Amino acid sequence: MEPLDQEVEESELELPSDPMQLMMGPSHPAMHGTVRIAVELSGEVVVKADVQIGYLHRGFEKSCERGNWTQVFPYVDRCNYSSPMLNNVGYALAVEKLCGLTVPDRCQYYRVILGELARMADHLVCNAAMAMELGAFTPFLWWTRAREMIYDLFEEETGARVTHSFGRIGGMAHPPTDNFKQHTLAILDKVVASSDEGISLLETNRIFMDRTMGVSAISQADAIALGWTGPCLRSTGVPYDIRKAHPYLVYDRFEFDVPVGHEGDNYDRLMVRAEEVHQSARIIRQALEQMPDEGPINVDDPRIVLPPKGEVYDTIEATIRHFKIIMEGLKVPAGEAYGYTEAANGELGFYVVSDGSGTPYRVRIRPPSFALVGGLSKLITGQMIADIIPTFGSMNMIGGECDH
Amino acid sequence: MPTFKIDGKDVPFEKGDTILRAALRAGIDIPYYCWHPGLSIAANCRMCLVEILPPPGRPPMLLDVLELDREKSAYVNVKKPKLQPACQVPAGENMEVLSDTSEHVLRARHSVQEFLLLNHPVDCPICDQAGECKLQDYWLEHMKTKKRMRDEPVHKPKAVSFGPTIVYDAERCIICTRCVRFCKEVVKDPVLTVRERGNVNEIAVSPGRELDHAYTFMTEHVCPVGALTTKDFRFKARVWFLRSAKSICQGCATGCNAYLDYDPRYQRAYRYRPRDNEKVNQHWMCDEGMLSYKLAHDDRITLARIGGKQAKLAKAVSKAAELLKDGPTDQTAILLSAQHSNEDNFALVSLAKALGIKAMFLTGKADGEGDDILRHVDKNPNTAGVKLVAAKAVGSFDDLVKGIEAGTVKHVVALGSAVPVEDADSTLKQLTTLVVVGSSSSSLSRNADVFLPACTWAEAHGVYVNAKGMGQQSLRAIAPADDAQPGWKLVADLAEALGQKFAWSKLKELRAVMPAVKEPEPEKPEDEPAENADASAES
Repeated sequence: MEPLDQEVEESELELPSDPMQLMMGPSHPAMHGTVRIAVELSGEVVVKADVQIGYLHRGFEKSCERGNWTQVFPYVDRCNYSSPMLNNVGYALAVEKLCGLTVPDRCQYYRVILGELARMADHLVCNAAMAMELGAFTPFLWWTRAREMIYDLFEEETGARVTHSFGRIGGMAHPPTDNFKQHTLAILDKVVASSDEGISLLETNRIFMDRTMGVSAISQADAIALGWTGPCLRSTGVPYDIRKAHPYLVYDRFEFDVPVGHEGDNYDRLMVRAEEVHQSARIIRQALEQMPDEGPINVDDPRIVLPPKGEVYDTIEATIRHFKIIMEGLKVPAGEAYGYTEAANGELGFYVVSDGSGTPYRVRIRPPSFALVGGLSKLITGQMIADIIPTFGSMNMIGGECDH
Repeated sequence: MPTFKIDGKDVPFEKGDTILRAALRAGIDIPYYCWHPGLSIAANCRMCLVEILPPPGRPPMLLDVLELDREKSAYVNVKKPKLQPACQVPAGENMEVLSDTSEHVLRARHSVQEFLLLNHPVDCPICDQAGECKLQDYWLEHMKTKKRMRDEPVHKPKAVSFGPTIVYDAERCIICTRCVRFCKEVVKDPVLTVRERGNVNEIAVSPGRELDHAYTFMTEHVCPVGALTTKDFRFKARVWFLRSAKSICQGCATGCNAYLDYDPRYQRAYRYRPRDNEKVNQHWMCDEGMLSYKLAHDDRITLARIGGKQAKLAKAVSKAAELLKDGPTDQTAILLSAQHSNEDNFALVSLAKALGIKAMFLTGKADGEGDDILRHVDKNPNTAGVKLVAAKAVGSFDDLVKGIEAGTVKHVVALGSAVPVEDADSTLKQLTTLVVVGSSSSSLSRNADVFLPACTWAEAHGVYVNAKGMGQQSLRAIAPADDAQPGWKLVADLAEALGQKFAWSKLKELRAVMPAVKEPEPEKPEDEPAENADASAES
């Protein structure tokens, strides 16, 4: 009988070295947004990655073609469900471009403030999820608490916490509440402080730095070639922000900086978002100061905007106006337009085509996530399998807008 | 062709054209309520007012008016041009008309619309006209503001029954008098009139009379607002859910062109509307015809039957073939139907030819009342068509009855669901074999050994030939119910089961071999709804 503790050569213990095929997702807890990554592993190193999207495809663009123009708002809400208000405003701006409408000043400021709040919420969620997936649960809870304050404000303003469907062509569904300004100012400091507090736990944390610095870095040239926009592009050092480059609404009236990173790695993407929370707060403070307290929110055009509900019940004119807009839909002049805005993840574009009727002929979305996910396999190839999680998290892929 | 100018655009006109008629023909929109192409000109709604510039060298027609100057907050004397109704003023060579470009015209339209809505009730949510109401369309186009009057509007009678078919709502009425003129000029039965004046006027029925002539539905049809509604359509459907198919009325041999309005969600027809055709029905239809849309759903049999019991369609077809195989062809007859399209009848004639059957008879509805407006005594839409496709003498239903009684006809393949006599049961019972291709219940279906469910005209494309010999196409509106199939398809299936294969199997192929009709309508009208176009492609 041979002794059990017989000396064996190290090399004889090697396992067969065929690459291992592994399917991550679509229902993996870290694959938020339902995506599947088919990875080929050599040990723990990713040698090949095939990112497969489409698990959240729900025919959003086709659905838009069966209702009227206003009925698209609930659909765009669900595109980027982390910041629905930015989608609402983005879509409204595209259709208004086609109609040749400009909403009143007060509405422009209102849209900016709500949009920036949505951006803050989006960034907080993204950073929180990324940190949590690396084991940092405390920042997640703190940032979620901060987001909760923003959600409370949205609930007060729009009646809904997440999917507000609050935008309208030619304005907003309701004017700001009486204490909108006070409420916003009251939460602003707390949200920013909370963001900073969470960052302070990560910024110089050795484990966090090792897991994110230099991991999944991308060059400026590659990011541009992939069509990246938003925080992910800015993390590589390209200072491109549509709010600065092609100002819309009243963004040209505010002073704010475009934070950029240097390396384009996971750490930079997180830090860019963290800094943008500060910049959003800056914009909101200026907007609150400049926003008029009185004045109309909606354009004054009976063909576009619904009459006050009280009048609908009492007067034939308002009944007719209501009837025409609800039953036939507001008529958008025939033509096509591309409206683009800086959403939380980058350039959010809507290409709308009208045949002059009350129903969209075509609505095409240019979601920022789509371009970002296009670069994912490049980023994670050559990284460790565990690095897929923070890389994917830092990208903030949102299935709702990506799968279109 | 002489021309005149509207807003600087050259508009051609024919002698006798009014400005409005010429403008509409040229595709220029001038709003109007009271004008109707088939009625006399009343020019009472004032919606079509336009500014006509004076001929060169002549002074303009100006009115002195007092106008409130808001800056001075005082009334000042101003002059404004006298506007004229486009529906009444004849177009003249080199005339210059201002419509959308005249500030006075735009103001006049705004004001007229404000006047018309002054006492209008808030009825849109419960009004059948909503969605096809001119008051709604023109408010958005020409008014866009609230009315200035704060007083309680004048209240008038609502839901007044005018007769067996029509309900009147005086509050919604704009007294355009279209219904009054229609009764007087087209029907020649002046049963309606206007009572009282100013804002208390209303339409009234002659004392001792009801609105009960044969064309009452047309009063509702000409009403530009929701004042007149039909009892039949009232509260049944909302018009924006309905789609329209270009159809041919099945009520009589006139073959009135109509739109069959149906709800695609429930595949249900809801009403007929006349479709303008100067050569056939101008702008009108009769009550009987307007109600004939109901045939699409009433008394339908949509499943095959063998000996009165429901059966699978394929089984019924083979059973029919089995029964007919035994019959000697000289004792077999075919019964064509004037209620069915040329396609269906042609298929049956082809079957007879293939099998060597000589005897052909014709069924349909019995003659009814006629007049010299639209209604024809022949209550079948396709009598002329059957004679055309049969290409030889066709016996009447009475001839068939005689043949059955005499025992010379023992087997019959019949098309249709109508017989011109009240009780044919006792005669039809004597037959050894009766195979019926029909759509609804009748004595034919009751006595059928095998019944094959055919589509109604609403469920299939078909050509109908009217009394004038004009072939007109009726397009499919709704999908065939249950197992129903176009009659010609069922006949082709039957022929195949009998071992006879026709050279055609699709509608297009069938039409290519079918005898051509004088003045056929184009196969596919330009503005045919897309879904119908699809349907014709597949069949």
